[in-house]
Amino acid sequence: MTVEGGVQYSKIAEIKGPLVVVDDVESAAFDELVEIETTEGEKRLGKVLEVGNGKAIVQVFEGTTGLSISGTKAKFVGKVMEMPVSKEVLGRVFDGLGRPKDGLPDPIADKFVDINGEPMNPEQREYPKDFIQTGVSVIDGLMTLVRGQKLPIFSGSGMSHNLLAAQIARQASVVGKQDDFAVVFAAIGVQYSEAEYFRRSLEESGALKRSVLFLNTADDPAIERIITPRVALTVAEYLAFELGMHVLVVITDMTNYAEALREISAAREEVPGRKGYPGYLYTDLSTLYERAGKLNGKKGSVTQVPILSMPSDDITHPIPDLTGYITEGQIVVGRDLFRQGVYPPINILMSLSRLMKDGIGEGSTREDHSEVSNQVYDAYSRAQEVRALAGIVGKAGLTEIDLKYMDVGDTFEKEFLTQATDENRTIEETLALMWKIVSKLPKNEITKIKDKYVEKYYKEE
Amino acid sequence: MASNSALESTIDKILKNTEQDILANIKSGLDDSQQNLDAAVPKLESEYDKIISDGKKEADKIEKQITGSADIEARNKQLMALEEAVDKVFSKLLDQVANADRSGDYSNLIKTLIDEATKILGTSEIIISTNVKDKDIVQSALSQFSGAELSSDTIDCLGGIKVKSKDGAMTFDNTIDARIERMKPLIRKEIAAKFGVGN
Repeated sequence: MTVEGGVQYSKIAEIKGPLVVVDDVESAAFDELVEIETTEGEKRLGKVLEVGNGKAIVQVFEGTTGLSISGTKAKFVGKVMEMPVSKEVLGRVFDGLGRPKDGLPDPIADKFVDINGEPMNPEQREYPKDFIQTGVSVIDGLMTLVRGQKLPIFSGSGMSHNLLAAQIARQASVVGKQDDFAVVFAAIGVQYSEAEYFRRSLEESGALKRSVLFLNTADDPAIERIITPRVALTVAEYLAFELGMHVLVVITDMTNYAEALREISAAREEVPGRKGYPGYLYTDLSTLYERAGKLNGKKGSVTQVPILSMPSDDITHPIPDLTGYITEGQIVVGRDLFRQGVYPPINILMSLSRLMKDGIGEGSTREDHSEVSNQVYDAYSRAQEVRALAGIVGKAGLTEIDLKYMDVGDTFEKEFLTQATDENRTIEETLALMWKIVSKLPKNEITKIKDKYVEKYYKEE
Repeated sequence: MASNSALESTIDKILKNTEQDILANIKSGLDDSQQNLDAAVPKLESEYDKIISDGKKEADKIEKQITGSADIEARNKQLMALEEAVDKVFSKLLDQVANADRSGDYSNLIKTLIDEATKILGTSEIIISTNVKDKDIVQSALSQFSGAELSSDTIDCLGGIKVKSKDGAMTFDNTIDARIERMKPLIRKEIAAKFGVGN
């Protein structure tokens, strides 16, 4: 924050897509905030993308619709874009640029923080190993989320990923500890009805008071979407590392973010990479995903669950592909299960949490968690094979043990995977359901669990 | 007589057998019932536990909903009240600034503002605009800034100056209004702190 403010330039050389080229600029800095004033006096925000030869290229967040070369003015504010942060942001709803959207005044800020964030020093990182309970059995039981982890949800258009995102945001908690927990929810390019659903869902469940919402709707300018995850992560970092809270950041939909990036890249006439996305898509995504983690000597943590819808359900598409390189596992939403009416339709065979092993077991969840989870994976995988076989030879051609595996598959989908959107299962309930599935198999088929746990938890039907 | 006693003994035997059968049936029925009852107890207990735990969960959920929305409502009312108070302080402050005495240090302030503006624009070839009240003060300060001119048009502001390069390409707003606007978030924080909110 400075009293000097900035110089306003009135020579606009060119307006191209979301970009404005300002001429005769004496001094401007990379990423500097720019206030564009239209001939009608309307103000829009932007940032400097490039400076040189007396020109500055400004990316206008709210779009350039209605701007003309004559009469438009660009004021270089003399600072980068900042987000006012304080504990007061909890329970608030903001737009994609961090401006209040709930009819309340700006929060009283403790400080103003650069939204681009500081990259975490790898040396300072602490290995994530504490369990977060989402209340969703399939996640807690089979692809456990750990504090400080980045675990994306890969979905497809029209599927129930937003329901799942809202459920996780409502239910997520740190079990057995009195640590403060907060949820930062960033919706990027979602429909108005979805944005309303997220807001109402958190409000009605009482979870809004520990949440911060950033809502960029589909009718907001696409370029704003570049900023939304950054303001959300800035607030998350403040809550985590300054106030010591454990913060879960849910970002939906990262595909809309990548498309906004592609739009800017095309307007800048950069050489396109795969499917027209810029060559630096990987680097850009990493600047967001790598803002998750825990720091040595700091109490809080930032956990990220970015959600992205895969165009044509294609997991090899550049967005899920590059996301998968950076994040620590993935949760894949399956079209087949969705069509069967299963909620949450998570395809466990394509999903995994790479940090799960460190966040479960004695002292975190329960001693038998890892082994029973492996057994359930194994049994469901076998059930899928048996189902395929039954499709060829018919059910009559299956052996008795094959039929048991088919039963396991059905029980898994109907009782374990299927869950109401307002059903918050504890880890104990989840583990009990996993044992119910395992107990459908004869003991000699249980090969991944130690005998002592089988003795303790196996309940033959 | 003999046939009568044989008949009676047969009847007694049948009665005894029937009695034994009935008693055995009753006993087996009792045992079955006892077994069923014994088996039902843990089932009932687990059902009972489930109902209690579901009820507790539901109660927790409702409690969270009620306290959550009450907390948010109370906080929002507090925020609105605070904002109202901050606005009152602000408008009083702006009134005081607008009616401030223009003698004494004010002319030095205007010189500082012009100096700052020429440095930021990087040129002394400038046109200065100000409000009616400050016109004379700015005019007298111009002697120290060669190349600077006072615009004949006045602007609507609390005080201070607005500077434009002579080629019209650059403008720098150094009015008191603009400076207050730039500092507004920090001033709000200071005012809020006086009301005991924030640091």
